[in-house]
Amino acid sequence: MRIAKVILVAVGATLTAPLALAGDTPEEDRKETVEYFQQKFPDVPLEEFVNGQYALDEDRRKQWESMSDFPPFEFAVAEGQEMFETPFANGKTYASCFENDGIGVRQNYPYFDTEKKEVITLELAINRCREANGEEPLKWKKGPIASISAYMASTSAGKKFDIEVPNDDALAAYQAGKEFYYTRRGQLNFSCASCHVQNPGNWIRADLLSPMLGQVANFPVHRAKWGEMGTLHRRFTGCNRNVRAVPLEAQGEEYRNLEYFMTYLNNGLPVVGPATRP
Amino acid sequence: MYKPLLILTASLALSLPALSQAGAKEDFNEVYSKVESTHNQAGTYQWTTTANQLKAAKEAADSGDYEKALEMAEQALKYAEQSLEQRKQQQEKWPAVAIGN
Ligand code: HEC
Repeated sequence: MRIAKVILVAVGATLTAPLALAGDTPEEDRKETVEYFQQKFPDVPLEEFVNGQYALDEDRRKQWESMSDFPPFEFAVAEGQEMFETPFANGKTYASCFENDGIGVRQNYPYFDTEKKEVITLELAINRCREANGEEPLKWKKGPIASISAYMASTSAGKKFDIEVPNDDALAAYQAGKEFYYTRRGQLNFSCASCHVQNPGNWIRADLLSPMLGQVANFPVHRAKWGEMGTLHRRFTGCNRNVRAVPLEAQGEEYRNLEYFMTYLNNGLPVVGPATRP
Repeated sequence: MYKPLLILTASLALSLPALSQAGAKEDFNEVYSKVESTHNQAGTYQWTTTANQLKAAKEAADSGDYEKALEMAEQALKYAEQSLEQRKQQQEKWPAVAIGN
């Protein structure tokens, strides 16, 4: 944790918000975020940010490319497809719960449900679909739900994220997610932004920090460290814990709002999940 | 000749820890519930540090070592107070560091 503290001090010393124009609609946030990261990494093409740390480091990228012939998530995608296509006890399938039968829709998640007034993530939609059809919900962070999510993402490869903020309730959810991203938590007193806005491209122990822009587009992921697939909220849990903050519930309101905010910033960037990460 | 003195010393030696243990138990319970409520007030800003420390304090109390438990609970209280303070401060400060604000 010593390195973490050194970075913290550095962050405290250099922390100046990029000069911003007045007003903060999600679209203005997104444009300024894109600008911020393009200035920070002028050699990285915009679409590359979805590859996280691999967009920032040549060695890491080579290791990654050498894996791409036999990506470790292939098995999960195949398993996910089988589960996706296997009928529930009532004879229906997941397809019945989704637009376009659930094929090629990842880029529209999470969305804001204006009637229920809440953010619906892909994993939440998967479990709600199960429950609506009389099945038990799956665990949120790994296992079958990650496989189904991986399969659904794979059918959306290359589609551009298109997240909308349709009304004031949605805007409040977006703002809550934004607040979460920028507020310092835990004994180490880090915000998500301390690492992923202020320090992407820097190393923190053996890890190379990815930029905020593009985060989410590659999920779910197969991590070498996990030795298996995990969902985005599993990753949130880990990042909270690393700064000694008590993680919140996977698919609870806070993490869903956080995902909503983060994914909005990916609008126009391609779906590249599932992916591999160290 | 030395007997009364011996007994006196012995009884003091025995009763003092017992006495202070009884006081420590009450003190511990009081501090412990204060930590719990402060930790709860921290809401989404809770520290694992506090939670771990509180658990360790509880374990010490369960094993009967109330002095150690009290000491640990007091440290946990400091963590909980810091996390609550962090919550208050961050809710005001974050907009100044956010892109787009
Ligand atoms: C102490 C620094 C630190 C903080 C604070 C932190 N993270 Fe991370 N995060 C990491 C590291 C290290 C990794 C792994 C390397 C990487 O991909 O960035 C990571 C990875 C991620 C990834 C996966 C990126 C990918 O390409 O797969 C996401 C998403 C993420 N963090 C989100 C968050 C969120 C949301 C927060 C705030 C709740 C947060 N992080 C706070 C250090 C941090």
